[in-house]
Amino acid sequence: MNTRFSNKIDVIDNSNMNQHVDDDDDDDDVTTSLDPLVDEVSMLQLGDSFFPTGMYTTSSGLETLFYDKRIKTKQEIIEFITVCLQYQIGPADCAALSNAYDFAKEENISKIIEIDHILFSMKLIKEIREASIRSGRQFLNCLLSFVPDNTLISLYYNSIKNKAANGIYPVALALASNSLNIKKERACLILLYGFTVSITGAALRLGMIQHIEGQQIIHELKPIMTTVLNNNIKRHFSHLWQFSPSIDLVQMKHERMDSKMFIT
Amino acid sequence: MTFKRIPRVGIGGPVGSGKTMLIEQFVPLLSQIGYRIAIISNDVVSKEDADRMRRNLASERGLMPESLVIGLATGGCPHTAVREDPSMNLSVVEDIESAHNQELDLIIIESGGDNITTTFSPALADYFIYIIDVAGGDKYPRKRGLGIENCDLLVINKIDLAPHVGADLKIMERDATLIRKNKPFVFVNCKTGEGIKEVADNIVKNVLFELPPKTTTTKN
Repeated sequence: MNTRFSNKIDVIDNSNMNQHVDDDDDDDDVTTSLDPLVDEVSMLQLGDSFFPTGMYTTSSGLETLFYDKRIKTKQEIIEFITVCLQYQIGPADCAALSNAYDFAKEENISKIIEIDHILFSMKLIKEIREASIRSGRQFLNCLLSFVPDNTLISLYYNSIKNKAANGIYPVALALASNSLNIKKERACLILLYGFTVSITGAALRLGMIQHIEGQQIIHELKPIMTTVLNNNIKRHFSHLWQFSPSIDLVQMKHERMDSKMFIT
Repeated sequence: MTFKRIPRVGIGGPVGSGKTMLIEQFVPLLSQIGYRIAIISNDVVSKEDADRMRRNLASERGLMPESLVIGLATGGCPHTAVREDPSMNLSVVEDIESAHNQELDLIIIESGGDNITTTFSPALADYFIYIIDVAGGDKYPRKRGLGIENCDLLVINKIDLAPHVGADLKIMERDATLIRKNKPFVFVNCKTGEGIKEVADNIVKNVLFELPPKTTTTKN
């Protein structure tokens, strides 16, 4: 594994730390549709890059690494995404999603908004912070066109409108998944998979890899995604974290680039 | 989020066809009438177009605040950003609408340079101008493409270059009439301003419905 972004990239097993208040097995209390396959299709729908979230416009700093010739190979792209998943997206976005999902089941809007603010404040890079709320808000806009009567989503949407919440993407995804009976762990997978695909897509459009290599990358990252999921799905919202200073610096540099294809 | 919609004009066209210069030409004409305008420029690689318009229209001529010329990166997918998934553009539009609803009359969204299949999502733009240039050859209109066929106004730029590239403007006129089935098109020269008033008039008539500028209305 690449040591330029992190001292230790082996998958950290801290799944027993900081356990979430809701230790229930998700399968026990999730509501399902009369036809459970409909719920599975809903998962495919939200996880599909065809769902309009604008995430294809971001590279999480990969573009800078490409122009600086610090990443060249397929393996290095895998390592970059792995570090992002383990040290940024997993313990912050994924864990926030998990908590927001549980509070959605309790219809606790104030806690959902609290998580929204915590995660927003943790995103150090302005362009990434703004991209996440732009994605989250447009995600909700689209969702409300076919799930118009969900009280909680309407409450959250109105809170965003009234500037009481930010509309950060993982929280929007949590509420959407809950409303469509998508299980929590699968909602987390949508997030992790979506992030992986957006960076892999960026690598493809930068000409770093070919289309088949893109699928190889996603395949190789499957066990990383599931491990990151297991390590963070029970993390309490008071213990969200992210720590990837090298990548933060790369992303800051990207944010200031004059000529670039991607939002950071 | 939901605010009163400010009319939006989308401008698409191939790289180098003159999208940015077209905006730089017709915005002063609309400003002269009193309309207040914001511009979102979708850049494929650089922020050059947005920077140039900000400098020319905002900093030097004071036609709009600098903050209302906004550059947006599209991840190498210029047509996706205005058609299949316009999320980022819509989000920026909503920010503008929420902050400037009272005084802004028009939002212009410039697509990144792309191919002749570019169209704008109706969710993003109310009126779609597609611009091509004579230097691409007089075959351009009859090559069709969604942009050329379906746009609300086809602009054919760089007419001064016709004799230099062996292009016949009469052929372009004939084919544009045929392909577009009586929808309007206009020949322009963005360098000299020729034909630009017709573009501005189209926007005033078909997008702004000849309403007075909001600031005028407010004063009255």
